[in-house]
Amino acid sequence: MTDQTKLAGLSRRKFLTTSLYASASVAALGIGTRSAHAAVDLSGREMVFASWGGSYQAAQETAYCNPFMEATGATVIQDGPMNGSKLRTMVEAGAPIWDTVDVTDTFLVANEELFEDLDFDIVDASPLDQAYVHQKGIGCIIWSYNVAFNTDVVGENTPQNWADVFDVEKFPGKRALRDRVYPMMEIALMADGVAREDLYPLDVDRAFAKLDTIKDHVIWYTSNSAAQQLFVDGEVGVGVLLNGRTFDVFKKGAPVNLTWEQNIRSIDYLVIPKGAPNAEVAQHFMNATVDADNQALMANTLAYAPCNPAAFDMIEDDVLPWLATTQENADKGILINAEYWRDNLAEMTERWTEWKLS
Amino acid sequence: MSFKDRNIWLLMPALLLIGICFLYPVSWLLQRSVSEPVWGLQNYFTIFSKTIYLGVLWNTVAIAGATTILCALIGFPVAYSMVHSSPWVRKILIFSVLIPFWTSILVRSFAWLVILQRGGIINDVLIGVGMMAEPLDLVYNRFGVLLGMVQVLLPFVVFPLFSVMARIDGSFVRAANNLGATPIRAFFRVYLPLCLPGLLTGAMLVFIIALGYFITPALLGGRGDIMIAQLIFERIDEFGDWPLASALAIVLLVGTGLLFLLINALLKIRGGRI
Repeated sequence: MTDQTKLAGLSRRKFLTTSLYASASVAALGIGTRSAHAAVDLSGREMVFASWGGSYQAAQETAYCNPFMEATGATVIQDGPMNGSKLRTMVEAGAPIWDTVDVTDTFLVANEELFEDLDFDIVDASPLDQAYVHQKGIGCIIWSYNVAFNTDVVGENTPQNWADVFDVEKFPGKRALRDRVYPMMEIALMADGVAREDLYPLDVDRAFAKLDTIKDHVIWYTSNSAAQQLFVDGEVGVGVLLNGRTFDVFKKGAPVNLTWEQNIRSIDYLVIPKGAPNAEVAQHFMNATVDADNQALMANTLAYAPCNPAAFDMIEDDVLPWLATTQENADKGILINAEYWRDNLAEMTERWTEWKLS
Repeated sequence: MSFKDRNIWLLMPALLLIGICFLYPVSWLLQRSVSEPVWGLQNYFTIFSKTIYLGVLWNTVAIAGATTILCALIGFPVAYSMVHSSPWVRKILIFSVLIPFWTSILVRSFAWLVILQRGGIINDVLIGVGMMAEPLDLVYNRFGVLLGMVQVLLPFVVFPLFSVMARIDGSFVRAANNLGATPIRAFFRVYLPLCLPGLLTGAMLVFIIALGYFITPALLGGRGDIMIAQLIFERIDEFGDWPLASALAIVLLVGTGLLFLLINALLKIRGGRI
C-alpha cells in the first residue's frame, strides 16, 4: 500500500536538536518507563524491522530501533518497503523474514489472520490511548486525510470543509482527490451534509450520487507524492491530502495549507507476522515503542501524532498544530472505521472501479 | 530452416530459462486461477460476467489498439525518411528515436505531466500568445495516455520497418512507374505490400507490449483509463486475491497468444503472395 504519509525530513540541524532534546529528556527521566525493557537482556538476539522506507523509516530507526538496541543489546535489522502482497505471500509460505512490520489500520483489520497475537505480559500497552491498541498490534502513529488547498490559487477565501471542495462554483478548476473508495465515501457524504457521527454504515448510493456532481472536475491520484506535486504546482486549488504530506510541502515553503475541519484519522500499527522467526524479540520491541520519549521523538522529527498521550508534553510548539490527535484537531474529525472497511472493501472497490469507468 | 536437428541442444540454455522463469510461474498462476477458492472456472465466470472486468478488458484493447495505429501512422514516415536520407541525417534520426527509448519510462511519464498539465509549458504558451483563454485538458485523460504510450513504443515499430525498408529493391517501384502506375498506385500496390512484414511485426510488438502497460496509464490517465495490469496489481496488493488476479493474467496471456498466432498466420499469407 502506498498511502503512507512518509515525509521528507526536517533540516539536519533541527533533527539533531530534536535528537539531543530527546536524549536529554531520556536522561532526565532516568529509569521511568524505560525500566520495563531495560531489564530484559537480549544480547546476541536479532529481529528484522520492515516499514515504508525513506525518511519515515529513518525516523522510526532513530526513535524506536536505536533506543531498543541500546537498552536490550538486541540487533534490529532494517528492511522494507512494506508491501501488502509480499507480506501476505511470506506468511502464506510459512517463512516470513520480517519480525515487526508497520501496516495501516485497514490492512490490519482486513488481514488479522496474518499476524501473531500480542503478548500483553511483555507489552505494557497501558500508557497508550486504548483506541490505538489492538489484539494483534499497537498504534505507532496517527495521520489524517485533510481538506488541503493552495493559497495562491484559492486566495483569501480558503475552503473550510468537504462541501467547499465539492463546490465547483466557489472553487473553479480541478480538485485533487484520492483514487480509492476509502476515504472518498466518507468525504462525499460529509460534503453532502451527513454529520460525522452518522457516517457509518455508509450511505453508498448517496456518496456516489454526490461524487457524480464533480466527476469531471477531479484529478484522481494514486500516489501521495504525485498529489503533493499537484498542490505545489497549483494544478489544483483544493482537494484531499494527508496531514504529514501537507506539513512536508508547507515546511519547504509551498503555498499549501490545510484545515482540520472534518479530518479523517487513520492509524499505522506495528504488528508481528505469523510465524516470524524472532517473534519474542519483536514482542519486547513492541513494548519499547510504547515509550512516551520515543513517541515524542518520532513526532518532533516528522509531525506524526503519538498514541501515548504522555508524549504530548515533549512535543515542540510548532509541530503540535500539525498533529492529528491533539484534542482540538481530533474533535473536528473522525477516526476511519476500519472494521466497516474490512467487511466492505472488496465489494466497494469493485463498485468504485465501475463508477470510474461509467 | 538452416538449423540442424543435432544442434538442438544449443537451445537448451534458452529453454531452461523460459521453463524456470516463465512456464513454471505461469502454470502456478493457472493452477491458482482454477483451484481457489474451490476447483472450477468461477474466477473466469466472474471476469466475463461483471461489467467492471469487461470494461477494463475493453479499455485495455482499445488503448493498445489506438496506440498501435498511431505508432504505425507516425512510425512509417519516420522509417521511410531514415532509409531515404543521407547517412548523416539517418544517424541523427536513429539517435532521436533511440535516446528517448533509453530513458526510463517513469521519468518520461513524469516529464509529460510537467509539459501537459494545466500550468505546463504547452498551456502557458497557448494562453501567452492568446490562442486560448482557458488551459486545455491535455493530461489525466485518454489523450495523455496515448501520447505517453506512443512516444514510449514508437521505436518498436520504427526499427522493424527500417530494416525491412532498407532491403526493398528500389527498382520495383521504378518498374511500376515505368509501366504506367501513378506514384500513389505504385506506393499502395508495390511499396506498401513489400513493407508489410516489417509493419506487422512492429505493430504486433507495440500492441502486445501495450496490452500489459501499467505506469503510463496510471500516471497520465484519468478516471476512465484503467488498464488490466492496474487491476491485477490492485487485486493482489489490496486484497491478496491471487485467484482472480491469476485468472486476469491468464486471460491477458491467452488473448495475447491468440493475437500472435493470428498475425503470424497473416504474415504467412502475405509472405506467400510477395
